Amino acid sequence: MRSLVILLAQVSALLLINQAGYAAASAFHLSIPGNLLGMLFLLALLVTGVLPLRWIEASASLLIRHLAFFFIPIAVGLVAFAELFLDNGPAILLTLVLSAAVGIWLSGLSAQILGTRGRKKLR
Amino acid sequence: MSLWTTGFCIAVTLGAYLLSRLVARRYPSPLTTPVFFSAALIILVLAQSGVRMVDYEPAKRIMVFLLGPATVALAVPLYKNRHTLLRNTLPALLGLGIGSLATLGAALTLARVFGLPEIIRASISIKSVTAPIAIELAPLIHGSPPLTAAFVIATGMIGTMLGPWLMNATGIHDPLSRGLALGTISHGQGTAQAVSEGELQGAAAGIAMGLAAVFTSCIAPFVVPMLR
Repeated sequence: MRSLVILLAQVSALLLINQAGYAAASAFHLSIPGNLLGMLFLLALLVTGVLPLRWIEASASLLIRHLAFFFIPIAVGLVAFAELFLDNGPAILLTLVLSAAVGIWLSGLSAQILGTRGRKKLR
Repeated sequence: MSLWTTGFCIAVTLGAYLLSRLVARRYPSPLTTPVFFSAALIILVLAQSGVRMVDYEPAKRIMVFLLGPATVALAVPLYKNRHTLLRNTLPALLGLGIGSLATLGAALTLARVFGLPEIIRASISIKSVTAPIAIELAPLIHGSPPLTAAFVIATGMIGTMLGPWLMNATGIHDPLSRGLALGTISHGQGTAQAVSEGELQGAAAGIAMGLAAVFTSCIAPFVVPMLR
């Protein structure tokens, strides 16, 4: 029971930071989404020590562990575009798959090559 | 009546998610990644039980409510791995810049080669940008926001299904680089996948998702008209 209350309080704190992120984004007309700004806020609070990690860690790791869950209802909404995908299906699918593959391969590879070379130089 | 439907939709979604976790652990494959597997199952169940997509909407809003705080929570792995990330600032920035440019260029080129209509070409170019930013960015490059959102979600799924396998096949084993690539191309869903690989992967993906979105937002208004 007690741990549940603590968890709810922690999630509420995260919600509050999220809201602050959205408020700041609209107040300053930033083209960054509020939740990303909220993430930066929380990072700042942790780095400056204003908010100790243990105050937030339990709920944060729970939410992150189940991050994939939140994308499921959104993916179900893809049904609305079934017709478009059926009409231009193969072309759209190939474009999406190949461009994703090229992007993942090049970004992973370049970061790995540059990263390991840099680390070797340090040694 | 509609309350029952909403409850039913949430129950089906939760059930599909729990099942997908079991199946993914037992039979790891691109087809059993939680988002793809669960969404396909839910669509089937809803169609079988006569629930229309409009009736799924309220349930969706309730379940997506915690996505904001969950994104904020990504600051925690970021904080824990800050020293590793700071030590690799240059490769990380270059990796996400190269990846973002490559995927945007490849998408535009392929869409053009396949002769897709212009509104699709513009909308598909920014499919690696996280949904909340992509929707804002779409009108600026003459794309359609709902179309863009659909491509963004599909790319999230494709990268999550394909990415780990592709990187295993091409010898990309460095945890930071794997997370970076997943976050750069497949934004939130890629980050969720990276988290399941490890904490450093998750942290790298979270920061890559944010920075890649900002980077693409800055270059797309100039690059897309040129290549379109």
